[in-house]
Amino acid sequence: MFKPQQTSQQFAPAREDLAVHIQHLNYFFGAGDLSKQVLFDISLELPKGQIVILTGPSGSGKTTLLTLAGALRSLKDGSLRVLGKELVGLSDRALVGVRRNIGFIFQAHNLFESLTASQNVEMAVELTGNFSSKRDQAGAMLSALGLADRVDYKPQSLSGGQKQRVAIARALVNHPKLILADEPTAALDKKSGRDVVNYLHALSREEGCTVLMVTHDNRILDVADRIINLVDGRLESDSSPNAFIQSKQGDPTDVSADMFIM
Amino acid sequence: MARVSVAWSNLLHERTRLLVAISGVAFAVILIFMNLGFMGALISTATNFYEQFNADLFIISTETLEISTSTAFPRERIYQVAGIDGVERIMPLYSEYLLWRNPETGVSRAIFSYGVNPNDPVFLMPELQGDEARRILSRPNTVFFDRLSRPEFGPQDIGTTTEADRRQATIGGTYTLGGGFAADGTLIMSDQNFVRYLKPRPLNLINMGLIQVNAAVSPEKVAETMDSLLPADVAVYTKPGMIDHDATYWLEATSIGFIFSMGVVVSFVVGAVIVYQILFTDIRDHLPEYATMKAMGYRSRYLFKIVLQEAILLAVLGYLPGLAAALGLYHLTAKATAGTLPVAMNGGRVIFVLGLTLLMCCLSGLISVRKAITADPAEIF
Repeated sequence: MFKPQQTSQQFAPAREDLAVHIQHLNYFFGAGDLSKQVLFDISLELPKGQIVILTGPSGSGKTTLLTLAGALRSLKDGSLRVLGKELVGLSDRALVGVRRNIGFIFQAHNLFESLTASQNVEMAVELTGNFSSKRDQAGAMLSALGLADRVDYKPQSLSGGQKQRVAIARALVNHPKLILADEPTAALDKKSGRDVVNYLHALSREEGCTVLMVTHDNRILDVADRIINLVDGRLESDSSPNAFIQSKQGDPTDVSADMFIM
Repeated sequence: MARVSVAWSNLLHERTRLLVAISGVAFAVILIFMNLGFMGALISTATNFYEQFNADLFIISTETLEISTSTAFPRERIYQVAGIDGVERIMPLYSEYLLWRNPETGVSRAIFSYGVNPNDPVFLMPELQGDEARRILSRPNTVFFDRLSRPEFGPQDIGTTTEADRRQATIGGTYTLGGGFAADGTLIMSDQNFVRYLKPRPLNLINMGLIQVNAAVSPEKVAETMDSLLPADVAVYTKPGMIDHDATYWLEATSIGFIFSMGVVVSFVVGAVIVYQILFTDIRDHLPEYATMKAMGYRSRYLFKIVLQEAILLAVLGYLPGLAAALGLYHLTAKATAGTLPVAMNGGRVIFVLGLTLLMCCLSGLISVRKAITADPAEIF
């Protein structure tokens, strides 16, 4: 039986240079006797402008960690600061406010089939209240992702890669300082997947935004500044891509440096 | 630039579903209109004979439920108001059921009989106007017979002789009036004949006092004055008030109001269920998108608004064809029944049903929106 440990941990003060600052985070699913701990004493610092890949076997808690950082779940234990804001103990309403500064990219594109590419992106711009410029903003973002000639197409007449790029345009159009992506390339072919990752890379370099990405896709590990490996709810390793690949040598599901264009 | 209308786009995107939804709402709207139409028509047939009464004000006993269930009251009451300014003429009206024997089958049936002073212009039917009609009405044991009486009462030809309550009766003339809900047929006879047939009924107890007022005064004003003068055993009504009095009785004290209100309720529920199904399916299909919107930072209130907008759009889109179809069906019904069921639209009903349709769709929206509200953005990762 696990009980949330109400320890008197001392949390470090907020730091300006961190996009995400996690300290001694425990997370449980369920309540009471049925509760099951999925994250154990996670401490993690993501500086601004970094691309961090979160990897690990299924059920290791990657996605849970991602949703926690995305202010999609409410937290009671530990400390989790996102973009300078402490999420532990925030009300649902305040969490919604935090989410507006985060770009989400999902495995499925989740676009409204009834709306055009531009309208889907405009939905995100409307959150900022920029009604007069929303069409231009959406158009610019779609053009940046190579969809200038698909602005008024509905999702059903777009390819899988194009749809995912529209979804990415929707996530990025408000220039969020933190991007959370869950398997963004899983549904894409090699080239589209690479394009998407390259774009995220360029964006993080140009705008200094932090990207936290969950992926199993070995083809894209090279864009990461760091690779964090999560096993059974615990941080297993936190290393550079090269070190990560070295550590995986001899693993049957081999990753090798030749796979990357580095 | 305006907001992207998710509600409108979602509805338009699934054309077939939209069409089904509109037909569903329109169907419910038609059912509601038909129920209200039939109810209105029945109530108007129950009271439209009052239009043929040549009077502006009606005095009845406070115990009178409707014209055929009346309590007699002293004739003095109408004499008491005869002198009021603006009163042109006062006329007593006697009424009672009488057993009328079908001369062909020998079967007797209750027929509703009016007794009037032959010199009083109580009715507006053309057959009862003029000296000739007055002369016929004044003959002993002679009656005028309603052509709208049920055929079970037997032949309606002038000169037909039969029996009414063991006394001979001859049809001296006919007219068209109709008996409303209460009576299968009506007779009009002189007050002298009336007391003969309905012995021991005295002439100084009347069932209704009819008053004509001067065109220069308002009947309502005169009615007020009368009310203040008359004792509490009688009440004064204008013609619309009188019609309303009887209609209220038929609606509230009989099952008519209940039956058709039930019809309206059932139609309402059918419509609500259809709209609920459509909206629920729509929400279920778009759950990942709604959850994504929540992840992006939209509040539940926004999803709430989308669903409610869809509901209101469906209500309006379904109401308009429903109204058009109902107008067509009203026309068809009135024609098919040769005017005996005067189904007619009125402004109040148009607005009432629109309100009901909006309520129906919004209720369904509110029930189905719970699904969208519970969309958990953490679940779509």
